[in-house]
Amino acid sequence: MKVSGLKYLAGQGVENIWKNRMMAFASFCVLLVSLLLVGVATLFYINISSMVGGIEDKNEIIVYLNEDTTEEQISVLKGQLSQIDNVADVNFYSKEESFEDLKASMNDYQMLFDSLGDDNPLVDAYRLRVKDIDRIEDTIVQIETLDHIYSIRAPMDFVNLLMELRRIITVVCSVIIVALIIISVVIIANTTKASVFARRSEIQIMKYVGATNAFIRIPFFVEGMVTGFLAGCVAFVITWVSYDSLVNLVTQQTDIVSVIGRNSIMSFGQVAGIVAVAYIGIGVLFGALGSVLSMRKHLNV
Amino acid sequence: MVEMRDVSVVYSGGVDALHNVNLKINDGDFAFVVGPSGAGKSTMIKLILKEINPSSGTVFVNGYHLGKLKRRQVPALRRTIGFVFQDFRLIPSMTVYENIAFVLRVIDAPTQYIKKRVAYVIDLVGLQDKAKNYPNELSGGEMQRVAIARALVNDPQLIIADEPTGNIDPELSYEIVDLLREINECGTTILMVTHEHSLVRYFGGRIITIQQGRIVFDEVVGGNLIHES
Repeated sequence: MKVSGLKYLAGQGVENIWKNRMMAFASFCVLLVSLLLVGVATLFYINISSMVGGIEDKNEIIVYLNEDTTEEQISVLKGQLSQIDNVADVNFYSKEESFEDLKASMNDYQMLFDSLGDDNPLVDAYRLRVKDIDRIEDTIVQIETLDHIYSIRAPMDFVNLLMELRRIITVVCSVIIVALIIISVVIIANTTKASVFARRSEIQIMKYVGATNAFIRIPFFVEGMVTGFLAGCVAFVITWVSYDSLVNLVTQQTDIVSVIGRNSIMSFGQVAGIVAVAYIGIGVLFGALGSVLSMRKHLNV
Repeated sequence: MVEMRDVSVVYSGGVDALHNVNLKINDGDFAFVVGPSGAGKSTMIKLILKEINPSSGTVFVNGYHLGKLKRRQVPALRRTIGFVFQDFRLIPSMTVYENIAFVLRVIDAPTQYIKKRVAYVIDLVGLQDKAKNYPNELSGGEMQRVAIARALVNDPQLIIADEPTGNIDPELSYEIVDLLREINECGTTILMVTHEHSLVRYFGGRIITIQQGRIVFDEVVGGNLIHES
């Protein structure tokens, strides 16, 4: 086929959108809503898991050391702790520091501390954070094998709660996203079918004058692609605006931010590229496929 | 050229649509096919277009042996045939000009040629003023003239007209057939299916009569050229 022929067919595709604007608009809306539903659900899931991740980062294991541990042994132990692969960082927490912290937290009972005088009943400790809280139990077992350790305190209830929470969120969100995708595909298929059905006699006439299937298909393909592209672009803008205002709303709630951490809410800039590519890519793909697949049976004349 | 040799068509419901039909229409002929509805006229047209295949027998159209024609070669066959239908079958979203030009775009004709050729056939059917109109802005007779122009534009060897006068005013019917006869005089074979006996008697020529799937008469009759009303 010559370039002029292809240009004509592509032009026909674009022109057909205007000529069949009611049906094209219906397809556009269905694609747009489908993209938004799936896109928003996915973004919601990404943020929730990121927030859970933010909370997880605040995990802390406290390793209390024996009272008679020498300074040399303490620094050797630090090296050993850091070498455990699930350990993210290790901080020394001297008994003086913990004594001050304790005093501060029990300000109302100053007299208790007065009776102790300079005697510090606490022990030195290491505070460490793990990278992956799923493996926290193994990590504790590894720490227990080291010397000079008096006891280990880990927030196991908290860890179990978080793991459970993350599991539920993943399952619920996956079910919702998959369900939305299925619903979208069904609706898109039906809308394009209706749109093509209205033009079946047109397809038949083209066949009668000797048009090849490709010749008839290309305008439908272009039409679907352009509709999908536009739906993707509009979905992107809508998501951008509503996402940004939602993020602003959430970050103004200082108590929420203090729990989940400012960084665990994704800014739109972080996800804009992937959102744009996904919206436009999926829009174009579904638009074109929907249009071409649903006209297939009308070609058999 | 259309030739059918011992052609029978039995539809899946057991309906015997055509029975042992032998027929030859030579290049340059003008033939009427007449018969009551259900006689097998439409089946005959579908065979020529290779929309259906015969249950037995062979069909030749414009040098193609349709039994040996592959699916993807069907467009090539149809490009040698022009069609005129009772219900016009114009594409409603295209102008008169575009409807006619479409046939040439299908064969990837050069743009300059399309412009010249489409203008020529629009002139031939006398619709110069309507080139930019859409089909729903035309009368039945005008739509049928567009359809004839479309059938003509690719200079086909054969034009099939299926009840071309069925949906237009009786006075205009004669004009349409006259137009087809003029085209025939330039060498195009024409096969016109109709059930309007008055038209056939008026023009005369080769008349093929089908009844219940069989050709009962195949004769050449002189026209009386007298309008019956």
